[in-house]
Amino acid sequence: MADDELRSTGKILDVVDLHKSFGTLEVIKGVSFGLDHKERLVLMGPSGSGKSTLVRCLNWIEPPTSGRIVFDGQEVQAGACDIRKLREDIGMVFQQFNVFPHLTALQNVALGPIVVKKLPRADAEAEARELLAKVGLAHRADHKPGQMSGGEQQRVAIARALAMHPKLMLFDEPTSSIDVELIHEVLDVMVKLADEGMTMIVVTHEMGFAKEVADRVIFMDQGLIIETGTPAEVFEHPQQERTQNFLSKVHLA
Amino acid sequence: MAIDVRLIWEKLPFLLGGAWTTFSLTCVSMVFATVAGLIVGLLNMFGGRVLGTITRVYIEAVRGTPALLLILIVYYALPRIGLNFPQFPAAAVSLAVCYAAYIAEVFRSAVESIPMGQTEAAYSLGMSRMQSLRYIILPQTFRRVLPPLANEFAALIKDTSLVAFISMEDLLFRSKMVSAATYDYFSPLVGAALIYLVMTLPIMQWSRNLEKKVD
Repeated sequence: MADDELRSTGKILDVVDLHKSFGTLEVIKGVSFGLDHKERLVLMGPSGSGKSTLVRCLNWIEPPTSGRIVFDGQEVQAGACDIRKLREDIGMVFQQFNVFPHLTALQNVALGPIVVKKLPRADAEAEARELLAKVGLAHRADHKPGQMSGGEQQRVAIARALAMHPKLMLFDEPTSSIDVELIHEVLDVMVKLADEGMTMIVVTHEMGFAKEVADRVIFMDQGLIIETGTPAEVFEHPQQERTQNFLSKVHLA
Repeated sequence: MAIDVRLIWEKLPFLLGGAWTTFSLTCVSMVFATVAGLIVGLLNMFGGRVLGTITRVYIEAVRGTPALLLILIVYYALPRIGLNFPQFPAAAVSLAVCYAAYIAEVFRSAVESIPMGQTEAAYSLGMSRMQSLRYIILPQTFRRVLPPLANEFAALIKDTSLVAFISMEDLLFRSKMVSAATYDYFSPLVGAALIYLVMTLPIMQWSRNLEKKVD
C-alpha cells in the first residue's frame, strides 16, 4: 500500500460547519469534512439531500450562507479571497454537461486557457487536442456539441475542466443525464483520472464506480452528513437506518 | 370600381421613389435602433440598479405610447425648445428611439433564454462576468436575436408610414398624392400595398428560415 502513503500528502480542502439557505429553506445544515491531496471522495444521498448544493458551494457557484472553506491553505471568503482564482483551481463537471454549443469541441477545451490564463491560442489548442485524445475524442475536435452524444459532450466537458490544470475536480452527477449504454465512456475517463492521482469529489449513484475508485464515501440526507467511511464500510455495513434504506433502493434499481 | 393597372404602371416610378424613402428610412432607423437597443438591453440587465431602473422606465414609456406621438413630439414640439430636426432625421430619430425599446426587450429575452448552466460553466473556468458575456452568452444570443430582429425590421417598414403625418413623401404618402390628383382612391393604394408586400414578405420568410436554423 505504498500508493496510499503517496496519496496522503496533506489536506487540500477543509470545510467547517457549512450552511446554505435559499430564502427560508435551509439546504445545507452544517456540514464539515476535509479532503486530502489525491483523495477521491464520493458523495451519495437521496435527491434533495443537499449533495449537489454542497459541491456547488465549494467553488462558490452557490455562495455559502455561512461556514468556512479552506482550499489549498487559503481561507475562502467572498471578497477576502479571489473567487475567480479559486475557480481556476477547481474544475467542475455538471450533470447537464453545459458545454458551449456555439463552439467546437476543440474551442470548448481551449477557451478557458486562452481567456482566463491568457495562453497563446496555438499552445492552448495544442494542449486541447491532447486532452481530447485523452478522453477518446481526438476525431471529434472540430465537431460542435449539437452533433455529439451525451457521453461525448460530457467527455468534452471533462477535458474543458482539465485544461485549466485544476488541483481538485468536482463532478456533480456526471452520468445522470447520459444514456445508460454510454455511461461507461464517461466513467472510464473518470477512473483514468483517478488512477493518475487527480483529487476529486464525485456526486454519483454509480455504486460500481464508488467501490472501484473512492477512498471515502460520504452519505448525506436532509442537508447533513449521516455517515462516512470507506466504500466497504458504508456499502456493506451501513450503520444508519437512512443509509440502509437508501442503499437498498439503489441496489434494486 | 376596377383597378386601373395602367395608372399604377404610369405612376410606378413616382411610387418607387416613395418606396425608396420608406426603405432608406427603415434601414437608417433600424441600424440606430439595433445599436441603441443592444446598449439599453445590456444596461437594463447588467448595469446595476440605477441604470436598470432608468432603462426600464424608458422601455416601458416607449412601449406604452404610440410611435406616432413620438414622431410628432420630435418634429413639432422639440423645435419649440430649440431642437430643430429636418424631416428625415426627425423621422429616423423618433423611429430609432421607439424601436430601440422593443429591440432592447428582444436582446433581454434572448439573453434570458440562454440556460443558467452556460454562465455557471463559464464562471467555473474562472471567467469574469464580462468574459462570460463576451465569449459565452452574447455569441449565443446573436443567433437567437436574428429572427426576432428580422421581424422588427418588417414591422418597422410598415411603421415608417406614420411619417406621412409630418408630410414626408414615403410610399404611402405618395400613393395618396396620386389618389388626390386622379380621384382614383383604389389603384394607387393597392399599388402601394403590393410594393409594401414586396419589401416585407421576403424579410418575414428570411426570419422563418433563420428560426429553423436556430432550432
